[in-house]
Amino acid sequence: MAHAMTVPESGHAPRPRKAPMPPVLRAFLWAAIGFLLLNTFVIAVDPFRGHPFVTGPSVVFGWVGAAIGWLLGIGLYDAVLLPLMGFPTRWQERQQGWRRYWEFATDHKVIGLQYMMFAVGGFLIAGGIAMLMRYELMTPYLTIFHYPSNYLTAVGIHGTLMMFSFATVFMIGGLGNYFVPLMIGARETVLSKLSGIGVWLVPVGILTVLFSPLLGEWSTGWRGYEPLAGQDANGILFYYLGVLALTMSSLIVALNLVATVMFRRAPGLTWGRLPLFVWGQVTVNLLMLIWFPEIQTTFVMALLDKVVPLNFFTATGSPLTYLMLFWLFGHPEVYIIAVPAFAIWNEIIPVMAQKSLFGRQWAVIGLVFVMMLSGLVWAHHMFTNLRNSEILPFSFFTEMISIPTGFAYMSAIGTLWKSKVRLNTPMLWILMSMFNFLIGGLTGVFLADPIVNLQLHDTFWVVGHFHYTIIGSMVFSGFGAIYYWLPKLSGRTFNETWGKTLAIITFLAFNLTFSQFFLLGLHGMNRWVPAYPAYLQPMNFEVSIFAFILGAAFLGNILYIGYCWRNGAQAGENPWGAKTPEWFTSSPAPRYNFPVQPEIVGSLYLYGEGTKVPVVTTALGELAATSRATQDPQFDWHDYAPDGGGVTS
Amino acid sequence: MGENVVFAVLWVVFSVLGEIGDRVIIRHNPMYYIVSNQGQLALQAFNFLLVVLTPVFVFVVLFLVFTMVRFTTKRGEMPPANKRFAIDNKAFVLVWVGGSIALNLLFFLHPTTSAMEQMFALDQPAANTHDLVVDVTARQWQWIFSYPQYGLTQTLTPNGQNLLELPVNVPVKFVLRSYDPYHTYDQYADVIHSFWVPAFGIKEDVIPGETRYEYLTPTAITSYAVNPMVRVQCAEVCGPGHPWMESPLAVVSDQQFAQWVKAQKALANG
Amino acid sequence: MSKVPNEPPIESPEPQQPEWSRRQFLVGTAAIGVAGAVTLFGRQSLVNAARSVFGSPVSSGTVHLYAYDYYYIPNYMTWRVGDRMEVIFQNQSHTHWHEWTMGRHVNEAYFQAFGNLPADAWQEDFWDGVPVTLSDPYGIDNFVPNQAIVTYVGPKAAYNIQSGGDFSPTLKPGGSLHLSFTVPNKPGLWDFGCFVQQYIHYRTGMRGQVMILPA
Ligand code: HEM
Ligand SMILES: [Cu+2]
Ligand SMILES: [Cu+2]
Ligand SMILES: [Cu+2]
Repeated sequence: MAHAMTVPESGHAPRPRKAPMPPVLRAFLWAAIGFLLLNTFVIAVDPFRGHPFVTGPSVVFGWVGAAIGWLLGIGLYDAVLLPLMGFPTRWQERQQGWRRYWEFATDHKVIGLQYMMFAVGGFLIAGGIAMLMRYELMTPYLTIFHYPSNYLTAVGIHGTLMMFSFATVFMIGGLGNYFVPLMIGARETVLSKLSGIGVWLVPVGILTVLFSPLLGEWSTGWRGYEPLAGQDANGILFYYLGVLALTMSSLIVALNLVATVMFRRAPGLTWGRLPLFVWGQVTVNLLMLIWFPEIQTTFVMALLDKVVPLNFFTATGSPLTYLMLFWLFGHPEVYIIAVPAFAIWNEIIPVMAQKSLFGRQWAVIGLVFVMMLSGLVWAHHMFTNLRNSEILPFSFFTEMISIPTGFAYMSAIGTLWKSKVRLNTPMLWILMSMFNFLIGGLTGVFLADPIVNLQLHDTFWVVGHFHYTIIGSMVFSGFGAIYYWLPKLSGRTFNETWGKTLAIITFLAFNLTFSQFFLLGLHGMNRWVPAYPAYLQPMNFEVSIFAFILGAAFLGNILYIGYCWRNGAQAGENPWGAKTPEWFTSSPAPRYNFPVQPEIVGSLYLYGEGTKVPVVTTALGELAATSRATQDPQFDWHDYAPDGGGVTS
Repeated sequence: MGENVVFAVLWVVFSVLGEIGDRVIIRHNPMYYIVSNQGQLALQAFNFLLVVLTPVFVFVVLFLVFTMVRFTTKRGEMPPANKRFAIDNKAFVLVWVGGSIALNLLFFLHPTTSAMEQMFALDQPAANTHDLVVDVTARQWQWIFSYPQYGLTQTLTPNGQNLLELPVNVPVKFVLRSYDPYHTYDQYADVIHSFWVPAFGIKEDVIPGETRYEYLTPTAITSYAVNPMVRVQCAEVCGPGHPWMESPLAVVSDQQFAQWVKAQKALANG
Repeated sequence: MSKVPNEPPIESPEPQQPEWSRRQFLVGTAAIGVAGAVTLFGRQSLVNAARSVFGSPVSSGTVHLYAYDYYYIPNYMTWRVGDRMEVIFQNQSHTHWHEWTMGRHVNEAYFQAFGNLPADAWQEDFWDGVPVTLSDPYGIDNFVPNQAIVTYVGPKAAYNIQSGGDFSPTLKPGGSLHLSFTVPNKPGLWDFGCFVQQYIHYRTGMRGQVMILPA
C-alpha cells in the first residue's frame, strides 16, 4: 500500500486513520490485481491473435502474480518488506484475540493453529468430495457426475488435497509447528517470519487445486501421470501450481523446524533426550528437505511440458521418467505422513501408562531407518511397468522397510506390557491407530510381493491399503494427539463418554468401509472408474453407506473438538501427568512459551520410583541462557524476546 | 509370569483358529476366480502370505485386546507409580528384531524370488517357441487384437466390438503396444494403459514407445458370461474413456478356436 | 510444578489504529465463497438461465460444426423451422474418427462398463424422412443414410455409403462434409452426439443440443 510510505515524520503522532481492510480481503484483492497484471501482460505480448483472455501460459504467469499479490496483501508487505527496506510500518504483531489467526503472525503457536485450521478446511473439502465419489459409485453407471472426466477430476482433487493440504500439513505444519518448540523448551522458532508467511501458501494451494476445473477437467488423479497429463485440459496446470504452493509451504516448515531443533533446544535437552515426537518430526523434515525440491522440479518440468510445450515426459521423451520421479518423492511422502504418527503412539502411551518407555532407542532407530529406507523403495509402485530385472531389488527393500516400522510396535508393546494404562479417549485412538496401521502394513506385505502385486496393483486393494495406512496412521493418531493435547491447546478438556463414543463409531465405520475395499479389489474392481460392471454393485453400494457414516463421524469429531475447545471443562495444568516440557508452562502457553528458559535434567520418558521431574523452570540464576536476568535485576522475562528486540526499549 | 503364559496360550489358540479360517478362505479362493498358470503363481503366493501372516496379525490384535482387558486402570484412576519399570528386555528385542528380519528374508526368498523366478522361466523366449502370438494394441480407448499367425488383423464380435478369444491350455504370447494404428505419422500419440484380465491374475502396463511381452496359459474354458472377471480391462487411468476400455474374452477348446479363426477370416474378407 | 504468572502483557494495550472490521471480514469472505461456489458448480445453470432469458441467436445459412477429441464446437445451436441451412461438418482431431448423429433418448443406464449397448442409439432419429444434400466429401470414413432422403453431389464412392444405425456421417481425422437441408418441422430440443468407439465418445461428453424453434 503506497500510503504507508507517506507516513509523517517520526515524532508526530500518526493521524487517526480509517480502519484497515481485513488482511484476508486485502490479500484477495491484491491477488486479483496480481493475476490481472501478469495475465494481461502475457496476453499482450503473446504473438498469436484471437485466443481467449486466459490461455495456458498466461494463467501460469497470472497465478504467480496472484500468489505474490496474496502474500504481499496478507502481510509480507507490511510486516516484512517495509521493515526490511527501512521504511516505517504500521504492522504490529497482535497478541490476543481471534483476529491474530486471520493475519500474519510470527508466534509458532498461532502459525501452528493456522496450519491446523487450513488443514482441517482441506480435509473437509476433500472429504466432501470423497462423499460425492462414493455416491457416484453406488451405481455402476454415471449419476451425479455427468462424464468420467468430472469424476476423475474429483478423484484428483480429493487425493491431491488430502495428501498435500491435509496429511502433511496437519501433522507437520500444524502439530509440528505448535509442539516442537514447546517440547524442546524453546521460546521461539528460528525462522519465525518466514514461517508466518509460509502458512499463507496453504490456502493458495487449496484454492488453486479446488478451482482447477475452471480451466478444464483433468483426468490423471493425484499422481499426474505422463503422457496423459499432456493431453489434459489446462486444469492440470492448477494441479501443478497448487501442489507447488503447498509443498513450498511445507518445505518452509521443515526448514524452520530443523533449524529450531538444532539451535533452540533447552539446556540439557541432548539429542539422547529429545522427545520422540520431535525425533519423528526431525526425521520427516529431513525427508521433506530432500524430496520436496525434487517433486517441485519435476512438476515444473511437467508444467513446461504442457505450456511451452517441451518433451521431457511425453511419449517421444520418456513417460517412465516421470513415473520414476513422481514415486521417488511419492514413497517418502507416505512416510512423511506415517512417521509422526508412530512417534505420537510412543509419546502418548508411556504417559497414559505412567510407565517408562520401552526400548526408546529402538523406537528412534526405527524412525531413522524408515526415513533412510523410504528413499530406496519407490519403484514398488511400478512393478507393472518396470523392466523385470529391476523388480527384485525394489521388492527386497520394500519388504525390509517393515522391520524398522515394526520397532514402533515393539516399543509400544513393551511399554504396555504389564502396565496399568488409562484407557481414555486419546489412548483409545492410539490403540485403534495401531490396529488400523497393522492392517495397512500387512496388506502392504501382499503388495510388496511382485507376483501378487501384478494382480492387485491399480485395484481397490491398493485403495484400501493406502487408506488404511494413511487414515490408520495419521488421522487416527492425529485425533489421539488432538484429544491428548486439547488441554494444552485450549486449557480445556473433553468428556470421556463423548470422546470414546465418537472414537468407537469412527473406528467401526472406518473398518466397515475400507476393509471391503480389499474384497472389491480382489474381485476385479479397478481404480479410477465411475462406471463398472454390474456384478460389483452390491458391495459398492454397501461400502458407500458406511462411507457416509464415516464422513459424518469425522465431522462429528471435528465439531466436538471445536465445542470442547471453547466450552469444555477447565483442564488441569498437566492433566495426564506427562513429563515432556510442553506441560511445564501454563495452558495455552504464553507468547514466549516459558516464563524462563527451562532446563532439562533427566529423561522425559522414565516413570516410577526414583525418577525425577525432568524439567526445571525455576532455577533462574543458574542458567547461562538467561544470564541477562542474573546481571540485570530489572530484567523482566516479559521483555525477553529471542531476537533481543524487546530488551532495550 | 502368569500374563506371559495366558498370552502365549491365547496366541496359540487364536492362531490355530486363524489358520483354520485361512483354510476355509483358501478353499473358496481368496482371488475369487483364477484361470491361468500365471495367476496360479499369484494365488499360491497370496495364500502363503496369508498363512504366515495370520499369527503375526493375531499376535498384535490379541495384544491390543489384552491391553484393553488386563492392562488398564479403572476409569478415573491414576496408574500406580510405585515401581521401577524395565526399559529394555534383551530377549524380547532379540526375538522381535530377529523374528522380523527372518520373516522378511523368508518372504523375499519365498514367495517373492521363487515366484518371480518361475515367472521369468515362463517368459524365456526359448520356452515359448510354439506360442500363440496375440498382438495387443492399446489405443484410447479400445483394445485391438490381431493374430499374426492366422493373418487376422482385428477380431470383432458381430456387433463390432473388439474380441479376444484364446484356446485353452495353449501358451500365449501377448505383444503389448500402445499406439494409434490409424494414425501413423506419430507413433507415440497414445498414453499408458494397463492390460489386465482379472481372471488371469496379472496385469502389465502398455507404454507408448515400448513393446512389452506377457506370457501365460489359460487353464479353463470360460468366458465373460461364465464369470465377469474374465474380461480385458484397462487398469491404468488413460483419460475419460478409461472405465470403458474393456473387451469381452472367451477361452475355448481347440476346435472351437479353429472354427472361430475361420469365421473371423470370413468376416474380414467380407 | 508451579503455575507461573505468565500471561504476557499486551505490548500496546490500546491499538493505535482502529481494528479491521469483523463484519467486513465475514461478509467479504462469505461473498468470495459464494462467488467461488457459483463459478465451480453453477456455470451450466447460469448459461441455461441466460439462454432462457435472452434466447440464443438463431443460426441459419452456413454453419460450421467442428469435432474435436471429444467434444463439438459449438455444442449448442438454435435453428428455425423452414430455414435453409448448410452445415459444414469438419473433424479437427489428429487421431480419431468422429461422427455426427442427431436424435432423442439414449438410455444412460446402459453406460456401465460391459453394459448391454443398444443396437440403435437414438430411439428417434432426427433425420428420418428429411431431405438432405451432401457435397464436398473429404476423408469420409463411412456414411449411413438410414431413413433420410439423401442427394449426393459428385461420385457416390467418395461417401462410402453403408447401412446400419442412425443417420451418421463419420469422418476420418481431418475429414469434412457439407450437409444442406431445410430445417424440417420438428420443433423442440434435439440432442446430437458421436457414437464412435462403442459410444465412448458420447459417454465422455462428445455431445450437444439443437433447439429448433417453430417457424
Ligand atoms: C473420508 C473418508 C474417505 C473416503 C470415503 C475416501 C474414498 C476414496 C475413494 C473412493 C477414492 C477413489 C478411488 C478410485 O476411484 O480410484 C479415493 C482416492 C484417494 N484417497 Fe481417499 N477417501 C477418504 C479419505 C482419505 C484421506 C483421509 C486421505 C489421505 C489423507 C485420502 C487419500 C486418497 C488418495 C491419495 C487417493 C488417490 C487418488 C488418486 O487415485 O489419484 N483419502 N479415496
Ligand atoms: Cu487404457
Ligand atoms: Cu485406462
Ligand atoms: Cu467422436
